[in-house]
Amino acid sequence: MIFLEKNIADPLLNLAPLVILFPLLGLAINLLLGRRLGEKGAGVVASLASGSSFVISLLLTLSLQAHPQAFTLPLFQWISIGSLSVSWDMRVDTLSTTMMLVVSGVGTLIHVYAIGYMYNDVHHQGDVGRYRRFFVFFNLFIAAMMLLVSANNYLVLFVGWEGVGLCSYLLIGFWFEKGKDGIGNARAAQKAFVVNRIGDFGLLIALFMMFWWFGSLEFERVFNAARSLAPAQQGVLLAMTLFMLMGVAGKSAQLPLYVWLPDAMAGPTPVSALIHAATMVTAGVYLIARSQPLFALAPAAQGVICWVGALTALLAATIAVGQMDIKKVLAYSTISQLGFMVAAVGMGAITAGMFHLITHAFFKALLFLAAGSVIMGMEGANTVAHHHAGNPEEEIDPQDMRNMGGLQKRMPLTYGVYLVGALALAGIAPLAGFFSKDEILVSLWDYSLPIFLLLLLTSFLTAFYMGRQVLMVFAGKARSQAAQQASESPKVITIPLLILAVLSLLGGLINLPGVATLEKWLEHTVAMPEAGHFSPAIALSSTLLALLGLALAWVLYGYRSLAKLQQSDPLANYLGVIFHAVQNQWWIDSLYQRVFVIPYRYISHEVLAQWFDQETIDTMAHDLGRWNQWFARVLSYLQNGFVRTYGLVVLLGVVVMLAFLATR
Amino acid sequence: MGIPVSYYLVLSAIMFVIGILGVLLRRNALVTFMSLEMMFNAANLIFVTFAAYYRVLTGQIFVFFVMTVAAAEVAVGLALMVAIFRTKHSIDLDQMSSLKG
Amino acid sequence: MMIDVGRMMLEILPEIGLLILIGVVLVLDLFWRKSRKKLGWVSFAGLLLIFVLTLVFVQPARLPQLTWGGMISLDMTGYIFRMIFIAGAALTVLYAIANDSLAGRGEFYLLLLTSTLGMCFMASAADLIMLFLAIETTTVPLFVLAGFLTRDQKSVESGIKYLLFAAMTSAVMLYGFTWLYGFSGTTQLYQIAERLKYGFVPQAAVVAAMMLVLVGFGFKISAVPFHFWAPDVYDGAPYPVAGFLSTASKAAGFAVLARALFVIFPLQTETWTLIVALLSTASMFVGNLLALAQKNIKRLLAYSSIAQAGYILIGVAADSPLGTSGVIYYLSAYLLTNLAAFGIVALVGRAVGSDEISAYAGLSRRSPALALAMLVVMLSLGGIPPFAGFIGKLLVFAAAIERGLIWLAILGVINTIVALFYYLTVLKVIYLYRSEEEDKPLAVSSAAGTALVICIVGIIALGVVIAPLYGWSTDAAATLLFLPR
Repeated sequence: MIFLEKNIADPLLNLAPLVILFPLLGLAINLLLGRRLGEKGAGVVASLASGSSFVISLLLTLSLQAHPQAFTLPLFQWISIGSLSVSWDMRVDTLSTTMMLVVSGVGTLIHVYAIGYMYNDVHHQGDVGRYRRFFVFFNLFIAAMMLLVSANNYLVLFVGWEGVGLCSYLLIGFWFEKGKDGIGNARAAQKAFVVNRIGDFGLLIALFMMFWWFGSLEFERVFNAARSLAPAQQGVLLAMTLFMLMGVAGKSAQLPLYVWLPDAMAGPTPVSALIHAATMVTAGVYLIARSQPLFALAPAAQGVICWVGALTALLAATIAVGQMDIKKVLAYSTISQLGFMVAAVGMGAITAGMFHLITHAFFKALLFLAAGSVIMGMEGANTVAHHHAGNPEEEIDPQDMRNMGGLQKRMPLTYGVYLVGALALAGIAPLAGFFSKDEILVSLWDYSLPIFLLLLLTSFLTAFYMGRQVLMVFAGKARSQAAQQASESPKVITIPLLILAVLSLLGGLINLPGVATLEKWLEHTVAMPEAGHFSPAIALSSTLLALLGLALAWVLYGYRSLAKLQQSDPLANYLGVIFHAVQNQWWIDSLYQRVFVIPYRYISHEVLAQWFDQETIDTMAHDLGRWNQWFARVLSYLQNGFVRTYGLVVLLGVVVMLAFLATR
Repeated sequence: MGIPVSYYLVLSAIMFVIGILGVLLRRNALVTFMSLEMMFNAANLIFVTFAAYYRVLTGQIFVFFVMTVAAAEVAVGLALMVAIFRTKHSIDLDQMSSLKG
Repeated sequence: MMIDVGRMMLEILPEIGLLILIGVVLVLDLFWRKSRKKLGWVSFAGLLLIFVLTLVFVQPARLPQLTWGGMISLDMTGYIFRMIFIAGAALTVLYAIANDSLAGRGEFYLLLLTSTLGMCFMASAADLIMLFLAIETTTVPLFVLAGFLTRDQKSVESGIKYLLFAAMTSAVMLYGFTWLYGFSGTTQLYQIAERLKYGFVPQAAVVAAMMLVLVGFGFKISAVPFHFWAPDVYDGAPYPVAGFLSTASKAAGFAVLARALFVIFPLQTETWTLIVALLSTASMFVGNLLALAQKNIKRLLAYSSIAQAGYILIGVAADSPLGTSGVIYYLSAYLLTNLAAFGIVALVGRAVGSDEISAYAGLSRRSPALALAMLVVMLSLGGIPPFAGFIGKLLVFAAAIERGLIWLAILGVINTIVALFYYLTVLKVIYLYRSEEEDKPLAVSSAAGTALVICIVGIIALGVVIAPLYGWSTDAAATLLFLPR
């Protein structure tokens, strides 16, 4: 059990289970005592739980610094059937602590933010009692994510994987009765879950294969077995890694399973920030990083992953250019950046990928939270305007960028941090995004020129759409009453924003070229090829491209007046049909609907439910029952109450049996 | 010189069959009891026969027990018949058929 | 040769105890004219005492031994079955105390104890004479018990039917005994077995004798086609008696059936396995199908117990240690379950005044505890975990599969499904149907309540803590197939 094992290296490492237990404790307190704590109380409890988890992660990291070797803390034996033996262990090594820090750190900031944001939201939507539920789910998510990153075998990782999927579902559909047609949010949650499932199926197949061929699901064992088995069973490893890719595509929203992420924006903004930007979607990246020994043995798979990541990145970036909803732009941007990360770790550049994961967590969370601040401002003003004006004009969509504008003056702090986040995402030096993106590009330059060019183009587009967004939202004149009257958000919202902005500014320090702190840190756990060297040429060209993108955005959106934005986007004039296509996400969603969803629903309802189940099986069961009852009635004639009949039947029975025996 | 065993066996078989037929075919409860006695005595006959055949007393001891038991059974049976006669005023077994189904 | 009377007395301690208890109750019945109800508690206390003493002092040795001149075989089988019978009798006494028309009559307890005494001998009889006497000692008091309520026509009629049927099948069985005696010249079971093995006895005759003997045992366990008495007798007899009949008497029948088949006819295994399998199939089907059509709960329980006999016969047909241990486990579980069932039926029947299933509507509101008890009972009968009935069925089916009687196991499973229908129908009526009398609470006297609690706790305990009883059953099964000396 836990506390019997004495850790020789450092007793602090025994605290590892607390990273999972603190959030669980938080959610338990909220569940049981939440009503008494009141609204803000529940939020504080949850944030404290998440914060304690962060403190523990910090302690673990510090103690690992002295002894950076991986440390496993066995908890208990979970499954022991035949040759399958799975025990619940915790793995504390440099990779997992890195993830832990990101998850709990960014998570705590978002928890604090959510205290204010959700307070506003539940009052806006009209169901104050749901506040507590939000934080219960939020803590559950942190617990599940911690479980995922601290697992020592694939099965426990899968438990965490499923756990975060569940929380994502619960939180996307948080306002389950709202949304389009009163069911839109629920549909989005369902879509997320189902698409994730498809990916999980792939991951499960990979786990089965691991057990079948390697006999174990523990990381070390699997990697060793793979190494010895690789030369003989090349196909097996390739299949295994490709199935894992399916799981990654589902969880980290890559082609072709990315379609759930834009819809997931139906959830409250903190959810989008935490789960769909910073942490859950990075689980796939983590999986590849963790399983790097396996992928290294299947170079073909690595190539496939890289291509998938790159193509996803480009596709998503193009779509982001045409979106009008503030969160959708960020969603597609996330998909695009995930593509970067997946391409990086797929190729083997683990440090680059993890570095970008960390910096992306900072600035994407920042961007989402700031967008939430904007939305809050718009909503608040919306309600006020609606009530005061007294005119029957409909409420406008507070998330549509066409209704915004001029918010720079009304919400200066939000503007400031948003700008920081946008520049970081665009990759402008010396903000965090520049260094991480640059490292990825450098590694790709050595690996594959086509992919490098794809991602370079994507960087250009990234800068473009971020510039577009900033200008549409903050610059120019307000295009609606709500924008005219929006006001800055309270401190509980803006302080996390500031902290994240600082992190986005300074994030690059984690792995400056030359110093390479992160790289040296991760090297203890993950074997990787020689460090990517800093190439001034690539750095310069990527920065130039980013600036070019921003300039183009300024030309299109900043220079001209945007008053006519409601009718048409300036870009539409230049790109015409192409703009129409990207605005409709290249119609991929409707393609899926036509090809998969509608036929499936048809088969499920008409064929299986009605014809097969109701008509065939139900009739059979009914008839069997009736036949039984008829038989019973016939037999009951024998029991007529006369003793003589009874005796006769006994005699007949004996005679029959004797006859039967005689004939044998 | 003595009567062969098979004769006894056949006699006892006949008695047993008569007893069975009596139980199955007669409606009067007393006659049924008598037929039951007949069946028991058929068995007793065989016991005694084989006791003599094997020259062991075990069979004859068995007969004592069987006779006692048969008597006890009939005593109980008659008591029950008396009980039911009070209400039905008949000892026709076919009239005792209210429990059925 | 010195006959150690003391040791021999100790070996049949339960029977001696019962005999003494009978004497005590008889004397007290003469003197206690006013407070006859206390007789019930005296009997219960006595039975409890015997149970404990037997548990502590009469544990048999590992290997079976013959004692009392070869009449009694001391082995684990006999030991376990005696415990089952004494427990059954104790619970029945508790139920009888709660039953006003029976409680005040001393003869009831006397007859019950006598019957139990007979059963205890049945479990350990090793000689034909002993066997016959024990069977009759068991059955004759039960005639009287069935017809105990002389003013109730149904009761007397059930007594008569029971008597006629029992007498007829006893006579047939006795006829079979005569053939066995004739072929071997001895009445000691183990010696008969030897002589049948080595003597030149025509197989057909042995098989015929086996059939005749099976008639008698089949009647005791209410297997088809010897089951006709069961519905009528359970319907007419007083509730505690019906409960006792359906459990302890049946268990006694199985004890002698197992012993007779394994000991006397070890060579004809293929034949009797097949016959028993056929009996089992017929019992299951007839029992379950006819139960489907029942509207009276006592008759439903009767047919249900016919079907349960069918399941237990699967264990016998398996002819293996696992099968026999399954039989013993099943019978123990069944004892508790059916006694509880009849106890509940008694309580509700006397409160509502009717034994129709429709009278149980609204029971869940009138007395949630009783409804819950009925739930446990019905589910245990249906073989649902975590109740004891499940373990019994599990063992029995496993034994059948182990021996290759897969068709029998499949039929058993099919029948379990069919049976679940009528068990659940009762529960449906209890829980889902409403009635106007919902508000009147149901009085449960302390005696009945105690018995019910013991039964329900036992059902759940046997369903969960399997090891102790299973260990004993396995020991008992092993010794049954082992010839002493």
